[in-house]
Amino acid sequence: MGKIEYREEKFAYGMLSPMLLFVIAFIIIPVLGTLWISLHRDVTFIPTHPFVGLRNYAMILRQGEFWRALLVTVSFSLVSVTLETLIGLTFALILNEEIRGRGIMRAIVLIPWAVPTIISARTWQVMYNYSYGLFNWVLEHVGLGAVNWFGTPLSAFFAVVFADVWKTAPFMTLLLLAGLQAIPSDTYEAAIIDGAGMFQRFWHVTLPLLKPVLIVAITLRTIDALRVFDIIYVLTGGGPGGATTSISLLAFNYYNLGDYGMGSAISILTFLTVLSFTVVYLKVGRFQEGLK
Amino acid sequence: MNEKKLKRTLLIIGAIVMAFVCLFPFAWMIIISLTKNATFLGSPYVHFELTLNNYRTVVSDPTLHFLAYFKNSVIIATMVTLVTVSISAMGAYAVSRIRFRGRLMVPIFVLGVSMFPQISLVGYLFKFIEKLGWINTYKALFFPYVAWTMPLALWILLSYFSQLPKDLDEAALMDGASRIQALYKVVLPLSAPALFSTALLVFIAAFNEFMFALLFTTDYRARTVPVGIALFQGVHGEVPWGNIMAASTISTIPLVVLALIFQRYVVSGLTAGALKGE
Repeated sequence: MGKIEYREEKFAYGMLSPMLLFVIAFIIIPVLGTLWISLHRDVTFIPTHPFVGLRNYAMILRQGEFWRALLVTVSFSLVSVTLETLIGLTFALILNEEIRGRGIMRAIVLIPWAVPTIISARTWQVMYNYSYGLFNWVLEHVGLGAVNWFGTPLSAFFAVVFADVWKTAPFMTLLLLAGLQAIPSDTYEAAIIDGAGMFQRFWHVTLPLLKPVLIVAITLRTIDALRVFDIIYVLTGGGPGGATTSISLLAFNYYNLGDYGMGSAISILTFLTVLSFTVVYLKVGRFQEGLK
Repeated sequence: MNEKKLKRTLLIIGAIVMAFVCLFPFAWMIIISLTKNATFLGSPYVHFELTLNNYRTVVSDPTLHFLAYFKNSVIIATMVTLVTVSISAMGAYAVSRIRFRGRLMVPIFVLGVSMFPQISLVGYLFKFIEKLGWINTYKALFFPYVAWTMPLALWILLSYFSQLPKDLDEAALMDGASRIQALYKVVLPLSAPALFSTALLVFIAAFNEFMFALLFTTDYRARTVPVGIALFQGVHGEVPWGNIMAASTISTIPLVVLALIFQRYVVSGLTAGALKGE
């Protein structure tokens, strides 16, 4: 390796170092630190923090509450991402057509994205209110009767899902729209000449060509959904009776009680859950290719 | 043609439903913020009465601290944006222009980091920040936010820098410019749109962050808008929906306006950040 290249290399590390320093100091070390804490019995107000190995993990894995939170998180991600994909795809297909007011429609679809999660959660909370919420008012006026949204596990679950889908479908829409716009129009023309109908074209041309984008978008959103915290914290607080407590929220609750050992162990388990999906994502995305 | 008609009808219906779905919660937030009594749907005796009182209360009542939260959010998000964008521009330049060992590992590493759940940091981070005495200071949020928004920023800038022809800055290097000069005089001016969309997304991400802000602040000195709104309590125990929605509207309108004016930048940033592999 030549002298200039060596100097260049040193320079490159110099330019990268502020970025890496921030990431290492405020992300990598904290994760390792949390892993370290999870191996201890660490409760606020108890001065000694003895090393207990994997005992916290053993305790968590034996408790129903963790498995329940995991089930809630996974089913939330599954239902939420499925609905988002269907809605996002529909929206993207509409926005991809030459219709009047398309510019305005594209602006409108950005609005839920721009509303902060906490604020949208608060707004949905007031709309779900049993006695003066918008939804129950509508349901009563069409004769379906009011729903105690936060009162039963199933309705609380869907209350969270709907609010989340509203907030995140625009992101999906934008990604899929970008994917649709990358499909060359002559592929459609060829399909039309071959006599393919609207639905056939969608099924045999659009969908296969959109597949790579769909996979990336779905994986990205799944990773995000598995980490869900904000919206549940505000909307239901994890209730009723833990029915909407995600793994992130469960860990947070332990921290709140001052039990850092257990909280950290659940956090690390959350990390591992998301990590397994991340590995899939990096494999699917093949990210270095653009750089080579 | 029958199919064309069917398609048109479906499109129009779809577009109307879509506009309605996207807008109604946003509209409802504004409606509640403008009503004298937020429970007006619940009782035949209470009616919708238009008022600006909620806004007046939120802005002027010192016990609510809303203006302090807003100020904190804007200052922190601005500082984070400036620092994140400059640092990640340097990193993205190095990765896209200079050959060095481990170069291809950097984006993978940073992208991997962006997938970490926030909760997996806070156990240690809370103790660390408490030990430093940073609770209720801007520092407590500034440092984690810069780290937290870095992957997104690096990703967008990297995808843009790699598209810029390398000949441009190599010509500058030939003319005797240093790498730093090549970055500041050639690459950055050409990347203005990407820098802007990165800044916009980082600002919005920092403005909206919730978990760190919830844990690392306990009062108005550093508490941000999302935490303020999530924990908003009425003086009399009942939930002051009018005030909450007024505060929400005040906080949301600037973001929505920003996103709509700079729609193109938002969209290119979001898609560049996500669809690099395609």
